[in-house]
Amino acid sequence: MKLELRDLRHVYARGTPFEVEALRGVSLVVEPKEVLAIVGGTGSGKSTLVQHMNLLLVPTSGQVLVDGADATTLRRSELRRRVGLVFQFPESALFAPTVEEDVAFAPRQLGLDEEEVRERVRQSLRALGAGHLAGRSPFALSGGEKRRAAIAGVLAMRPEVLVVDEPTAGLDPLSREELLDLILGLRESGVSVVLVSHDLDEVAEVADRVCVLHEGRVSAVGTPAEVFYGDPTQAPATVRVTSLLRGSRPEIGDPVRSQETLDALRALQGT
Amino acid sequence: MQNPGEWTRPGGSFAVSCERVSYSYPGSGRPALSEVSLDLRQGEYVGVVGPNGGGKSTLVRLLNGLLRPESGRVLVTGRDPATEPFEVRKHLGVLFQNPENGLVAPFVEDDVAFGLENLGVPREEMLGRVARAVRAVGLEGYERREPHTLSGGEKQRVALAGLLAVEPEILVLDEPTSMLDTAGRREVLEYLQDLHSEKTVLHVTHHLEELTGADRILVLNGGELVADETPERFFSNADLLRENRLVLPVVPRLALKLGFPPAKLSTPEELAEAILARTQSGTRSR
Repeated sequence: MKLELRDLRHVYARGTPFEVEALRGVSLVVEPKEVLAIVGGTGSGKSTLVQHMNLLLVPTSGQVLVDGADATTLRRSELRRRVGLVFQFPESALFAPTVEEDVAFAPRQLGLDEEEVRERVRQSLRALGAGHLAGRSPFALSGGEKRRAAIAGVLAMRPEVLVVDEPTAGLDPLSREELLDLILGLRESGVSVVLVSHDLDEVAEVADRVCVLHEGRVSAVGTPAEVFYGDPTQAPATVRVTSLLRGSRPEIGDPVRSQETLDALRALQGT
Repeated sequence: MQNPGEWTRPGGSFAVSCERVSYSYPGSGRPALSEVSLDLRQGEYVGVVGPNGGGKSTLVRLLNGLLRPESGRVLVTGRDPATEPFEVRKHLGVLFQNPENGLVAPFVEDDVAFGLENLGVPREEMLGRVARAVRAVGLEGYERREPHTLSGGEKQRVALAGLLAVEPEILVLDEPTSMLDTAGRREVLEYLQDLHSEKTVLHVTHHLEELTGADRILVLNGGELVADETPERFFSNADLLRENRLVLPVVPRLALKLGFPPAKLSTPEELAEAILARTQSGTRSR
């Protein structure tokens, strides 16, 4: 599925003294089967932008297109099944007595038969390495376990585009790596993933393209190498290391992922 | 309250002292903390790391009296938070994980002032303290914004300002930078480093690079305190890291794989410099 945002503007509290223009004309395409990272400082409009992707927020002006069709003409329930949105701190929306029931809530609304619902719940929990939590109360879980339960609830809808807003905030380092692997696995299975993150090191590992937001506008978009070498002051640690070496050792190239960077640095040292 | 005997109380010479503290959540089969003993000296900056579910947040809640230990004892400046929670909270302030849950007031400045109002601080002094705290976290110009219109990172700074305004001598920070961008994180960390000598800080984080300047790093896993190390020894102990679901940050990891000591090289600049020095001198010793 191709998701297109055209010249989106969004004004919060319009016509009041507290008016804030969060988006000032953003155009962006989410291509099929890609991991698109959206980065930018706090308050740059990242979360506002992604909440337009399933029309949870309606733009003040501009358009959202799903495979070329105006998203406002689709049924909202259909749109929200196809574009799954995982909020920041999604665990605050957990409510059911068990994790299993919580994850089953959304797919059950689709009118699937019970066996299909159970199967989807099992698969989603397994994909997140959370199968063992199925019978537990979501309120007795740790922060990272709750996060996985909440994401499983959205995965169980089998979205074509999965939008995740700061999914790794508060996760331990290994859980963070597991979640990034899950994102790559989803892309392999044909799902597009929009990853909102302020952690450029994790963006470097998984993104096919990067979009940088600044004060409600797109200030750069392209491959990770294009974007990060274009402004090495706003780049992951790998690029900050190599860009300091490129002046005297241009043969180092433009690696971004940590394995590529390690290979390039080893070649440089002749080890 | 008069406390003439404060310094003769057990644990009184420590800012925080936990003695064989255990806690289990209702309905959970295994203890969230079991027999944890630790002491924080005044002015110490101590990091706490470990996997999700390891007991970090439980420890935080026991320190300010939100939870009572099942067995063992917690003392904060010689007081027991389970029996004197309000007194303890004047001395020990907590910044909780999710900033969303802590914001209560209609405007940012009211939110920052909330804790002071509860303590009955006079208005004149309150205005000064709020302004200083707002400046410290880089939120000037946000005073009349409504918290719900702020981004996650901005909310986190509002919550931090509210904590700083109360001026507790012990700060407990549960992932204070989890929602901040790189620049915001650097600012907050620099501010925390400045506090280093005057405050006692317990800093819970998953971002190990934030703790290179700490005095000690504690590792909690499965409810047990499994290590208490200096940053240098901690970063060099690959087994300890792996056993506790910890992963070295990018720069120390690259440094280690290239044959440099990981704890000495925590910034990209330091690593780049070390590589240049090695390639220029032509020595390829590993």
